[in-house]
Formats: sequence, structure tokens, C-alpha cells
Amino acid sequence: MPEARATILVVEDDPEIRRFVCSALAAEGHKVVESANARRGAIDATTHRPDVAIVDLGLPDFDGLEVIRGIRRWSPMPVIVLSARSREHAKIEAFDAGADDYVTKPFGVGELLARVRVALRHAVRPASGEGALRLGPSTIDLVARRATRDGAEVHLTPTEFRLVGCLAKHAGMVVSHKQLLGEVWGPTHLADTHYLRIYMKQLRDKLEADPLRPRHFITETGVGYRLLADDPA
Amino acid sequence: MDIARDWKGYAAAAIAAAGCTLAGLAMKGRFDIVNIAMVYVLAVVIIAVRYSRSAAIASAATSVIAFDVAFVPPEGAFTVNDVQYLFTFAIMVAVALVISHLMEKGRREEVARARLALEAESERIRSTLLASITHDLRTPLAVLTGASSTLVEGGERLPAAQREALSRSIYGQARDLFDQVEKILQMTRLEAGSVRPERDWASLAEIAGSVLSRMGDRLATHRVVVEMAPDLPLVRVDAPLVEQVLVNVLDNAARHTPPGTVVVLRAKRAGGDLVVAVEDNGPGPGEHDLDGLFGKFRGGGEEGARGGFGLGLAICRAIVELHGGRIRAEANPGGGLAIRFTLPVEASPPPPVEAAGG
Repeated sequence: MPEARATILVVEDDPEIRRFVCSALAAEGHKVVESANARRGAIDATTHRPDVAIVDLGLPDFDGLEVIRGIRRWSPMPVIVLSARSREHAKIEAFDAGADDYVTKPFGVGELLARVRVALRHAVRPASGEGALRLGPSTIDLVARRATRDGAEVHLTPTEFRLVGCLAKHAGMVVSHKQLLGEVWGPTHLADTHYLRIYMKQLRDKLEADPLRPRHFITETGVGYRLLADDPA
Repeated sequence: MDIARDWKGYAAAAIAAAGCTLAGLAMKGRFDIVNIAMVYVLAVVIIAVRYSRSAAIASAATSVIAFDVAFVPPEGAFTVNDVQYLFTFAIMVAVALVISHLMEKGRREEVARARLALEAESERIRSTLLASITHDLRTPLAVLTGASSTLVEGGERLPAAQREALSRSIYGQARDLFDQVEKILQMTRLEAGSVRPERDWASLAEIAGSVLSRMGDRLATHRVVVEMAPDLPLVRVDAPLVEQVLVNVLDNAARHTPPGTVVVLRAKRAGGDLVVAVEDNGPGPGEHDLDGLFGKFRGGGEEGARGGFGLGLAICRAIVELHGGRIRAEANPGGGLAIRFTLPVEASPPPPVEAAGG
């Protein structure tokens, strides 16, 4: 795996949670930097220059959001947020602050490691939009603006291409409603969530094998969407 | 106390005095004046029993005045010239006071008794809930303690397969425990009224898709069939809350029906509502009270081997009602249980306009 032996920053105040997160990451061969509070986390982020940061939202000194905003001022490194299930709102604020993905407590280590793997892929090789995406029975070439399903040409509208492009830029990670609306329809449509509902349905109808059980255009209820493309062959 | 009842009392007092006077005029000549006074006493007693103390006193006063004017000579004028009739007046007021005092006391005791009964009932509910919570938390905690201590104390001496089984059971029980704690918290928040739905346009098909993939393992034992009209309208709801409803209803179906059976998730539009149904092919509700399924807890045997507080459906009801919808359970015609809920459909917002070119 090319993404092994990365440096990962873990900002989490609870020592028990830090212990299992860090031991799981170390077991994957990563170098782990641990910070127990937001102030320390912000410093460690600048001194250790990690490839990925994992930030708990409920920190004792400052809000985890401050850590994310701090990192975003100077780095595009992927940030994964650890959040409590009951704090839906905090999750959305985290995406506004610049987070790329989240894991809800309590989480299994497998889930966290999967997120870290996706994030590292971005850190190592930011998605450029080049090459065709493979989505089960369908392919989308964003440069040539062509889409196929089971080998046959599928017509996508310009807006649909833009939407796929925006999701593909963050492939595997979450893109919030606001981010998608802003990038595809512009800043005056940030509250028009129904645009997304309509267009995601169109994309699923055109490209998913079973639109009612999508495997590529994934809904993150209340937060946004995630595009899961198949690994390039 | 309440003014409406007071005014009714005064009106009744006036009507009673007028009625007695008419009756008295009819009796006049054939009955002694003292007996006519008795008719007034009866009226005062009735007013005192039915209405407030002030109405009773008013009744006594109007009765004495009416009696005096109509029957005490000189008739047609209000003169209290005879000590006897002052005595009549005093008796009337005394009767009014005694009766209304007795009635007030009776009413107060009744209210107190009702309140005590209510308190006892809520205390009973609380202690039953507590007992069921304690039981359902204790069992997984016992498994967690036992399994983890086995690993800690003799881990390396156990065969790998057993170690793995113990670890898996710890993982599963811990997740269940978390779910249950989360349900208790959610129910508490819903009951306290601190859950305010953040409504936004959402697609039920999309929420269902997310639920089915999230619940993968929990529904793996059953065959879930999704039947949704392709042109379902969007609904303005708090999507994460509606997702919770679907999770709980599907979880309930999987929990109470034998593995391998079919669970159908349907959604369609009916008038101004989106109707969502989860139909299972299990044993059905049997003789149980269907509405009782949405109560905060249910009797022990019903929860099945995996435990659970039965809070799941109570949470569903609270969330659906918060959205202005209704939820109910029915026996499925083909056997099994159907849980149906509605979400109101509002006028759709203007659709996006596809930009030309690009």
C-alpha cells in the first residue's frame, strides 16, 4: 500500500479513546502524533505536518472546530471528525469549518481505518478529475464528458456532470449540502436542498444498478453526500 | 374558581327563586306559609349541592326576598317586620353554608384522591420502566464483564476461535448497550420537548436507501423488499429524525419475526400525505393491544432474546407526531404486523432550471 507509513495527528481528550485509536493506527504502520487538547493539537499540526488529522469535536479547552479552522488557514490536509451521534448540528458546523469526513462515536476501528485510508489517498494524490470513474455498471469520464452504463452511452446534463465532478473531487469523502449547492448552483442557492434531492435521484436512476439501494451515490442523512467509486483497475 | 361555573350558579339561584315563587303561588291557600318556605329551602339545598358557596348564599338571599315579597304580609312589598322571618332568613343562609361547605370539602377530597391516584400511576410507570431498563442494561453489562474478564485473565490459554467469539460478543453487546442508552436519552429529550425538528426538503427513497445500507447487518437475516412509487413527492422533514423512525420500525420487524421471512417497506402518496409502511410476516401482534405497541415499555416476554426497551416505537410515535403525521399498527391481512406512518406533503418548491450549454 503506497499510503502506509503516513503521519497521523489524533486530537482527542479522552485517554481511553486515544489509546485504541492510536494503537489501531500504529498497527497499520502509521506514525501517530497524539494531542489531548485543542491548543496542543493546533501546535502539533504545524510542527509535525501530518498527512491526515483526526479531530474530536468535544475538546476541553477550545472547540474542535477551532482546530479545523486553524489547519484550514494553511493546509488542505484531510480532516476526519469524531462526533457524538446526538450532535447533528456540530457535524454540519465541522463541514462548514473545513472537515472532510466524520466518524460517529461509538465507532469500530474498521470504520475509522477505512476513512483514514480514503483520506490518505487524497493526501498522497489529490483527485484531479482526470480519468474515468468506474461506478459498478457505469463509467463517467469527466474530461471527455461521457457517461456509459453497461457499455451504452448515457446522457448526463451539464449540471449533472458538474455535480458528479464536485463529488469526485472529494471521492470517498463527504461533501456537505452547502458545499455542493455552492459549487454547482452558486452562492445564492445554498438553502435549496431540494435541488440536490432531485439531481441525486436523476443520477442514481441513470447510473446505479438499484437506485433504491445506491452503492455509489451515498446519502449522509442530514449532512451531505459521498461518492464511492470503484478502485481503478 | 372558574367564573363560568359561578355565573351559572347565580343564574340557577335566580331561576330557582322564581320557580319556587310560582310553585308557592300555586300552593297558596291550600298549604301553610311555613310549608311554602320549605320549597325555598329545598331550592337552596339543590343550588348549594350543585354550585359554589357564593351561589348558595345568593340563592338564600333571593329566596328570602322572594318569599318575603310574595307571601309574607303585607304581600307585594319587602318588609321584614316579623322576627320570625328574620329567623327563616337565618336558617336559609345556615343551610346554604352548611351544605356548600360539605360539598366543597367533598370536591376537594375528590380532587386530592384523583391526584394521588395519578401520582401512584406515574410512580408505577416509572418503577416499571426503571425495572425494565435495569434488567435490559444489566444483562449486556454482565456479558461484557464476563467475556472481557475471561479474555483478560486467561486470554492466551484459550483457543483462537473462542477468543474471537468472546471479542465479537463484547463488540455486539457494547453496540446494543449503546443503542439502548441512546434510545433512553432520545425518549427523554422528546418527552421534555427539547427536540425541535430542523425541517428541510428530503426524499424518503433516499432516506430509506441510507437506512438499508446502515442497517446491513441487522437486516441480513431477513429479505427486505422495497416498493416505492418512482414519483414520490419530496417532504419537508428533519431527515435524521425520520431516518430514526425507519431504523426503529425496521429493527422492530427484524427482531420480532423469524429469520428468512420477508419485510416489505412501502411508500406512496395518498392525498395530502406520504404513507410509509413496514409490513412483516411474523406472528403478528396476536391478542395484544395494537396501540399499546407505541407505549413507552411493554411487558417482558415481548422483547425477544435480544432485549430492548420497547422504546423504539414510542420514539417513532413522538417523532412522527412532531412532524404532524400519524402512526399506527395493524394486523397484516396475510398475517404479521404492519406499521404505517404518514408525513404531510407540502407544496413542492420550484425545481432547478437546467443551465444551457456548459
